[in-house]
Parts: sequence; structure tokens; C-alpha cells
Amino acid sequence: MSRNRFPVIILLAAAGALAPGSPVSSQVPKLPGLVEEGKYAPGNLGMQTQPAPRKDDAGAVYAVGPWPTYTPPLAEGKGREVVQSFCGICHSTTYITMQPPLPGATWEAVVHKMIGSFGAPIPDAEAQIIVAYLKSHYTPETRRK
Amino acid sequence: MWSLSRRALLAWLGSSTAGLALSGQAHVQAASQATSPLPSFTGPGPNPYWNSVNPFVSYPQKLPLLRITDRGIQLETPRPYFLTPFTSNAAFYVRYHLELIPNAVDLSAWRLSLEGNVERPLQLSFDELVKNFKAVSVAAVNQCSGNSRSRFQPRVSGAQWGNGAMGNAVWTGVRLRELLGAAGIKPGTVQLQFQGIDRGPGPAGKGADAVMKSLDATDPALDDALVAYLMNDEPLPMLNGFPVRLVVPGKFGVYWIKHLTWIRAITSEDKNYWMATAYRIPDTPRGNTTPADAASGTVKTVPIGHVRMPVRSFIVVPDGSSKLPAGLPVRVQGIAFSGDGPVTKVEFSEDDGRSWIDATLGPDHGPYSFRAWQHTWKPSRPGQHVIAVRATDAKGNVQPDTPVWNPGGYLWDRIERQTLMLGAGG
Repeated sequence: MSRNRFPVIILLAAAGALAPGSPVSSQVPKLPGLVEEGKYAPGNLGMQTQPAPRKDDAGAVYAVGPWPTYTPPLAEGKGREVVQSFCGICHSTTYITMQPPLPGATWEAVVHKMIGSFGAPIPDAEAQIIVAYLKSHYTPETRRK
Repeated sequence: MWSLSRRALLAWLGSSTAGLALSGQAHVQAASQATSPLPSFTGPGPNPYWNSVNPFVSYPQKLPLLRITDRGIQLETPRPYFLTPFTSNAAFYVRYHLELIPNAVDLSAWRLSLEGNVERPLQLSFDELVKNFKAVSVAAVNQCSGNSRSRFQPRVSGAQWGNGAMGNAVWTGVRLRELLGAAGIKPGTVQLQFQGIDRGPGPAGKGADAVMKSLDATDPALDDALVAYLMNDEPLPMLNGFPVRLVVPGKFGVYWIKHLTWIRAITSEDKNYWMATAYRIPDTPRGNTTPADAASGTVKTVPIGHVRMPVRSFIVVPDGSSKLPAGLPVRVQGIAFSGDGPVTKVEFSEDDGRSWIDATLGPDHGPYSFRAWQHTWKPSRPGQHVIAVRATDAKGNVQPDTPVWNPGGYLWDRIERQTLMLGAGG
């Protein structure tokens, strides 16, 4: 496979030089069985950089870099900022977007679990805004993305 | 197995690596990368994919893993890493409940405390733990209680794992029993409580301050438990619990407390949130119930530590991402395990579970380890095929082909299937 690749690349380069701007595929001699080649598309997730090695000393502290966050945007709509500021006290809103669409009653129970079981300092009025927001964007009927 | 010395361990690790022809690394099949990515979520139906649908992300000391959540951190191991019976540390899944995860630990200040109802409270340094106690190793699977939660119907809230919230490693450390003996557990001890240095920003006394898990003082699992400072012969990655974590072979990962710092002998049943409210399962066969019964509040529940992990098996390749030419043999490979004794049989089905044939088992790494399996399948006709795998353990437990449901999304163990498209030759 890799042995065959080299002449093909040269051929493509030559074809490109002869006919700039023309579709490369039309310049490729017919290869047995070849249906498609040289097709590219932008990646969807972006490029991950490699981490450089840490400059550590010989002491007893063992450290790693900061934990990176990859938080998808929340749906736009009334109450979004309230959700971000209160839910974000203890966790990223990825905890919302990762869920499957959940019934409104389930979201209501989740918000009250955060307050009751975990002690989230969310006043009643804000809790209602949060529940309304989640029902508006993250139920089987309302979820879009 | 328990008396295995470190030297013997290394010897068998070496030999088993040589004998891993079965793991067939050359057969890894990369996805053919369809032009569209997976959707950003699944539901309300079940997640139809092997892993969760989340993107690859990079974290310190880790290969790119699948992001479940990013603060706290939950990362799923992608399917191809299960082609070998041991999961590399860099690929091992990550599951935290709370966000204050250590970025740096000073071993000159860190101590493992044994406290509570003990004769001699101990504060052990890392060096004391390594040098003053006998090193013991065990190969054991760590699986999240909610592994495969995204299969549940109806869906339940929680981390929407595919099948990758599990991993197998050789854990080396000190027997918990030896440490308990050194501290001298006093009569009247009901449970042993475990806590790590990771924590959350919530108010004290609730669930978002600290995660604590307890096992009954009479639980035989304590006899097999280790305080591990090596994972696959390397220090633990920070996200897997550096400097030490509890290892409880056969039990779900929630008991394997990371960054283990406190071991407490307690004289009454632990009523903290993580025991009394979270991680509880219906006290029924397979932990199964219905949404109606769960909503009625009449279902008796017990901590998930009352059960061992059910027997499961997985198809790793072929993964269905590319069409295969009919007429060529297909090497089907995967892993199996049980928290309840070794896997004794893995069976393969080429017809969606209607008929079964024994697969070939790989080397035995002990009762709590992944067991590799393989089967060479010779499909003869083009078109869609559904292959399946099921395992049996030494207790005679056979994987069921019916779903399980409980509100926590725990204990999924249904037979796994893989749909494949085979193409024509010419």
C-alpha cells in the first residue's frame, strides 16, 4: 500500500502543475478499482496539541497541569444565565447537555436533589427559573441539539 | 493468587504478554470515518452505539478519551483499548463525583490515616506503606456501577456511559487486612469507611462536600481488598487516584476510593449521602424494578456494595464501522469478566442469539481480571448480520438477554450484539 503511494503523489503533483485549478481526479489515469481519492474535509473537533514534558524537580510534590474543560454551549433562552451561575457553582453545565432528553418532572427532581441532597444555595425563585429553562430546552419534546 | 510475589507477577506478566497472540493487535480496525460525526446526544431511545457519543478530549497523563463531563471529570475509554485484557493507565476511564480534584500532591505531607474505633491510630507515609508492608498484586476489573447506563429504557439521569466505564489492571499494594491488623480494629466496629482527598465545594454534611463509602466489617471482600500504589506496574495517574486507591476486587468502582487518605472503623452504619441515598439498588434479582414501582417508593433498596458485578462480555472487533467482504474469515474478539468468580465460558452467536458456539478463551489472569476471547467466524453471505456474545461464570451465572431497569441506571448486564454489513466480492 505505502509502496504504491509514492508514485501516485508524484503523479498528482505533476498533474497539478500542468493544469492548476482543474479537478485533480480528472487527471488521474484510471487505476483498477479506484473509485475515489484525494478527498478531504475539515475535521470536526479541531486539533489537539501535544503536551510538553513538565519541568519537575526532585522534591516530593507530584503535579499535573490544570484540568482542561470542554463545555458545550447551553441552548439560548430565558434563564440561561441563571442556570450557568447557580448550577456552575459545583459543576460545569456539561452535566446538563450530556443527559438524554428527560421529562420535565425528572428535571424538577434533579434540581431539588441539588438543593436538598447537595446543599446547592439556590433560592426558590431561581430554582423555578432553572426548572423552566431545563423544561424549555432539554425534554424529549423540546431538545434540539 | 494472593501470595504472588512481585517477581512472579512480573514473570507472568512477561509470559502473558508473549502469549497474547490472541489479543491480535494487528487486527485493530479503525473506523472508516463517515462524513458526519455522531449526534451530540442520544435519547429518548437507548444509545445504539458501543461507547457514548461524546467527543475525544485530552487530559493530563491520558490518551484522548471520550468526554462525559469536564468539571467534575468523567472520561470514557474508547472501544479499541479493550482489545487487550489489560487496559493501559493512559486509557483507563475516569469517574469523579465532585469537582475539587487534586492537581498536585505532596508526598512529604500526605499520610494515610487509620482512625476511629482502633487500638492504635496510624498515620502512614507513602514510604512506610511501600516499605513496611508486604507487596501483593491482583489483576482486577474496575467497572463503574453505571457502566452502559445509556442503554436504559426509559432513560435515567446520570452519567450517560456507553460500555467504556470499565478497565482492567494489575494492582499492586498492601492488603487492607494487614493495615487493619496494624491499627487493631476494636470490637464493636460495624463498618469501615473510606475517604479520599478529592472533595467538592458543597456545605459539610451533604453529598457535595466529600464522597465516603463504607463496607461492612464482616464483608469477605475486605479480605481481597488492597491499598494500591501501583497500577500496571506504574504509579497511579492522578485521575485514577494517585498516590493510592482502594481496590475491592469483584465490587463496583464506587468503592475503590481514589486518593485514599482516611480509613475509619465506625461503630454504627454509615448514613452519609453516598451510602444512605446514592448508589442504592432494588433488593431484587438483578436489581430490577419498574418505573412505576420505583415511583411508588415501596421498593426496598440496598447499597450496591451488597452485590458483586454481574458477568458480562463484550465484542471489541469487528466494530461495525466498515463493511467487510463476505467470504473472508472474520476474527471476532473481545473480553469477558465477572465479579463473582472467574469466567468459565464465552459463547458466540452469528444469528442474533438464536444459536451459540463456544469461543476460545485467552490466558487466565485470575478470577477478577478481564478474560480475552476470540472466535473465527466465516460468514458466507453478503448482507446484514447480527452477531452476539454471552459469558458464563464459575457460579453458573449466564448473561441474560433481557434488559434491566432501576432508577440509578446500575447493573446493566444484557447480552451484547454487533450489527455488521458484509459486502459482495466479485
